[in-house]
Amino acid sequence: MSENELLLRTGAGTETTAPASDRPAMPLGPDGLDRYTRRDLRKEEIAIARQFHGGTMWPYAVAAFGCFAVWLSFFPLAIMGMLNLPLAFALSCFFCVGGYVTSHEAMHSNIGRPGSKTRWLNEAVGAVSTIPIVFPFSMARLMHLEHHYHCNDPLKDPDYTDEAPNMWAAWYKTWYNRQPGVDGSIHHYKRILAEMGTPAARRALVETMILQLVFMGTLFTMAWNGYAIEAALIWWLPRHIGLSYIRFFLSWAPHHPREGKTGRYENTNIFKSRVGHILSMGMQYHLVHHLYPGIPNHRTKEAYYALKPILKARGVDVSPL
Amino acid sequence: MAAVLKQVLAWMPFFFGIGFIAPLTAQLMQLWEIPAPFGLSPIAFGLIFGGTWGLIANIRGRWL
Repeated sequence: MSENELLLRTGAGTETTAPASDRPAMPLGPDGLDRYTRRDLRKEEIAIARQFHGGTMWPYAVAAFGCFAVWLSFFPLAIMGMLNLPLAFALSCFFCVGGYVTSHEAMHSNIGRPGSKTRWLNEAVGAVSTIPIVFPFSMARLMHLEHHYHCNDPLKDPDYTDEAPNMWAAWYKTWYNRQPGVDGSIHHYKRILAEMGTPAARRALVETMILQLVFMGTLFTMAWNGYAIEAALIWWLPRHIGLSYIRFFLSWAPHHPREGKTGRYENTNIFKSRVGHILSMGMQYHLVHHLYPGIPNHRTKEAYYALKPILKARGVDVSPL
Repeated sequence: MAAVLKQVLAWMPFFFGIGFIAPLTAQLMQLWEIPAPFGLSPIAFGLIFGGTWGLIANIRGRWL
């Protein structure tokens, strides 16, 4: 075909045009980014996150031991009739919730890394912090790390049973999962530990059984000696309230909706809490914790705002905060 | 030993009803001056109430 014939052909030129100019030069991932952009963003993200690792951790230890000592003192004070029960009840609820925050740092070895001089402190903080909620540190750590490894996996994430369609259903589920015949919460954890079958898992199961028996033994002894109301207000009710509060803010709120959200930047949400930053235990920025568990809780807010442009570029919904 | 402890834990809702709910009920009735029905003592009523509730929780697997 001569050049003239080609130019005179109907529609000539249209079928010979170059590919559309908006077509990417290299393949894009589901996040709309090419691998070079992703790599550069990741490098930048790591450099920023590194600035927020570590820091002053002794306040966690002081809070853990201080609160535990005060809570423990409630028992003899109640028996001696020297305790303001409504105040002790409110404080016990606070200690149950706060204890999880301090133990959470210990779970990630943020108070003392293995082999460091402060490792013993890390382990001691973890051990005392979760006694009020009758949740031994050995079990708490194993299950929490499993949650990190398999976040939002319906079969492998130990916290998946907290999923609920809305806020009210989530509060209900925190209670429902603790029912004796329901495979949720601590019952679910026990089953997972039994399946794991490792020495650490067996130790966690034994410690759970011992702590539960101590808990029941304390409640029964106090109750049959005329201090049932005191036992209920110092340990039984605060434990239930604390566990529900922890489950709601640490598990449901930052991970809802869980279904199909297993990716690094999608398994945890940035959300605006109605009760604010402190009362939600910093969980509004829980995504930062999942990305970098070595960043202590009190620095996740600061780290989030430093990381926000990168997170936005990675497709995270940063609109709530 | 482990088998015995497992059995104890399996029946924990019932034990909890007897061991804790019963005296708690009795002490709350005394605190709020609520008389027990059928001329029962508060602790007798607490044992019937707590024991029954615990047993139901054990069988049904739910407290409510």
